[in-house]
Amino acid sequence: MERTRRSSPISPPSEYDKGGSEDFSALRRLLLSPEQVQLDRLRQRLDTFVVGPQEVSRVLPDAIRLRARQDNRLLASMLPITQEALALSIKQSPQLISDSLAPILGSAIRKAISRAMREMLQSLNQTLEYSMSWQGLQWRWEAWKTGRPFVEVVLLHTLQFRVEQVFLIHKKTGLLLNHVMAEGISSQGEAAISGMLTAIQDFVRDSFQQSQDEGLESLRIGDLTVWIEQGSAAILATVIRGAPPVKLRDVLQNTLESIHAQYSESLQHFQGDDSVFLETRPFLEDCLQAQFVKKRKGLPVAFWVLSVLLLALLGWWAYQASLNHQQWTELLKRIAAEPGIVVTSIQEEGGRRVFHGLRDPLAVDPERLLEEVGYPPHAAGFHFEPFIALTPEMVYTRALKVLQPPESVSVSLDGDRLMLMGKSSHAWMTRVDQAHFSIPGITEVSMERLIDTDVKQFETLREDLEGQTILFLAGQGRLTDRELVKIQQVKHILQELDKKAMQLGREPSIYLMGYSSPVGSQSTNVSLSEMRAQKVLEILSESPFQVLKLSAIGKGVDPDVESVAAEGQGYSASRRVSFKVVEPKITQTREVGARTGR
Amino acid sequence: MIQKKICMLGGFAVGKTSLVKRLVSGIFSDKYLTTVGVKIDKKSLSVQGKELLLVLWDLYGDDDFQKVRASYLQGSSGYILVIDGTRKETVDVACKLHDLAQKTIGPVPFVLLLNKHDLVDEWVVECPMVSDLSDQACFVSMVSAKTGEGVEAAFSALSEAMLKF
Repeated sequence: MERTRRSSPISPPSEYDKGGSEDFSALRRLLLSPEQVQLDRLRQRLDTFVVGPQEVSRVLPDAIRLRARQDNRLLASMLPITQEALALSIKQSPQLISDSLAPILGSAIRKAISRAMREMLQSLNQTLEYSMSWQGLQWRWEAWKTGRPFVEVVLLHTLQFRVEQVFLIHKKTGLLLNHVMAEGISSQGEAAISGMLTAIQDFVRDSFQQSQDEGLESLRIGDLTVWIEQGSAAILATVIRGAPPVKLRDVLQNTLESIHAQYSESLQHFQGDDSVFLETRPFLEDCLQAQFVKKRKGLPVAFWVLSVLLLALLGWWAYQASLNHQQWTELLKRIAAEPGIVVTSIQEEGGRRVFHGLRDPLAVDPERLLEEVGYPPHAAGFHFEPFIALTPEMVYTRALKVLQPPESVSVSLDGDRLMLMGKSSHAWMTRVDQAHFSIPGITEVSMERLIDTDVKQFETLREDLEGQTILFLAGQGRLTDRELVKIQQVKHILQELDKKAMQLGREPSIYLMGYSSPVGSQSTNVSLSEMRAQKVLEILSESPFQVLKLSAIGKGVDPDVESVAAEGQGYSASRRVSFKVVEPKITQTREVGARTGR
Repeated sequence: MIQKKICMLGGFAVGKTSLVKRLVSGIFSDKYLTTVGVKIDKKSLSVQGKELLLVLWDLYGDDDFQKVRASYLQGSSGYILVIDGTRKETVDVACKLHDLAQKTIGPVPFVLLLNKHDLVDEWVVECPMVSDLSDQACFVSMVSAKTGEGVEAAFSALSEAMLKF
């Protein structure tokens, strides 16, 4: 109104009145009279002009819009009034404000809480699900090793994909309009990252001569993917861990489109003030999606492995128990059948089964039985008192142990009679004769079928000796060289015989009987035969004998001279010395007694 | 909060990166400069009572091997032009880059920094050489990456200019 008044072309009339003359005034009245009236009316109207509400209401909306576009002075002027009005309104009628805000705030709060709860529950579920499993233990180990929280390790392993960060970037300047992060992600200079993402896009676009509308769509490093959605004025960059599904692209595109639709003006005229884009947060939060690996339905592998192990263990235990039982039964059977062992009781002592009873020292060692049946030695013990068993087996064993027969002798037991068969030395037979009394259970030893090898050899030597003849020439007591050699052989036989007789405890007498041919007189022949016997005795007596007693006897004319002569040998065979072994009767009797036993 | 994208421009080895190193917080290593040709850092500061976040695009120096990518300049609200006071040829590079910036992003505010003030005895660049650029710049300063002298003030001046622009 002031401006209107200042810019009016009409000056106050008083100024003209002062400077003009009467004539001029008259002239002016004549010339401008009608216009003057109009001007006066106009001035009067302007002086009394008041802008009414109606006029203001017509221009106000446009005026505010124009002014707001021009600068923010209107906003600055209105801000304190609006704030005061709002404060007053809240003070006076809080219900009204509360009712008005409830639909907006309620929904927002509900959404925020449910989101927070969902994230928390998901994280809790994941943690619980894996905390007690084998996998969980491995992850715990990994967490401990890497120093990261267990929850984070679980998340990394069970994650199929998760949008970790969302950047809303102004396309032209690369400035960050808004940014949201998933829970647990730490911020790391988003403003610079935002710029760098834009720069990299420019770099790639320039390097490969792509048009301005083209842009990078995705970057990938390790299990991290950056998906970039290009809008006309803004870019939506999402940092995703894992393998995102294609449908996530739709979500991102829709989000960017919604933001463009709602903030088109702000994006176009963006001058660096990002406060207006704070409201885009819900849009961006909708992009913070995640999907976790579904745990396999059914029982986990660990369960099966454990079951198999358990079954195997059970099977092994059952097998061991059965084997143990079998071994025990076998052991009982063997011990019961074993001669020389009498079990009186079996007692459990300190986790061992201890056998009590009697055991012949010659019976088998029970520890060996354990070994043979495979029963664990630590599970059994023996406490046996010694005794002498009179079972045939033990009597037989004891006899063998005491007598120790040579291999050429077979031993058998017939009741209480020990039967010996085969060949043995005279010494062993003598020992049997003396020792069998000390073997309990044996009352008689039969040696009828036992050949005394020493006696046999003695007899052979005797026969050999008695078959020998030393021949002399007719009418002489002299020996030829050939006969001297024969005498040496006889001497050797005698030595063997002497040795054997000593072994047998015999003292045989050897008669050297001299003979002569019938030629010549009786007396000559007798003395000749004595001379001959004496001659051989002399030679044979050169070396002494232990037990043999040699004596020379002159027998005179050979009684068998006729039969010898008839054989065509003449009388040469009669001029000889023969041998005869003679044993005393008493020795003979003792030997017979030893052979027959008692 | 208000964010602004600004670029660091200048010839090879004029000290752009060193100038801002002690003032910015960044997560990227310098190797990005020689590979992608840009390294991005950020710097928060308060100008006229407003919190401002400068997203700083440190562009790899213009040399025979790698040209500054014009696309990296897109969307910048301002830029910092750096000249090495001891190397005359960096003035020409700065002029060239300035032209590129003006052509690509329009007449946005920029500051002109003459670096290596600590080696002022070795300076070969004289005022008339940079008078054209000085006239257009919203702020001109002699700075030293070694001492950090004048850099903070340059950021503040550019920020103010950008907010007014």
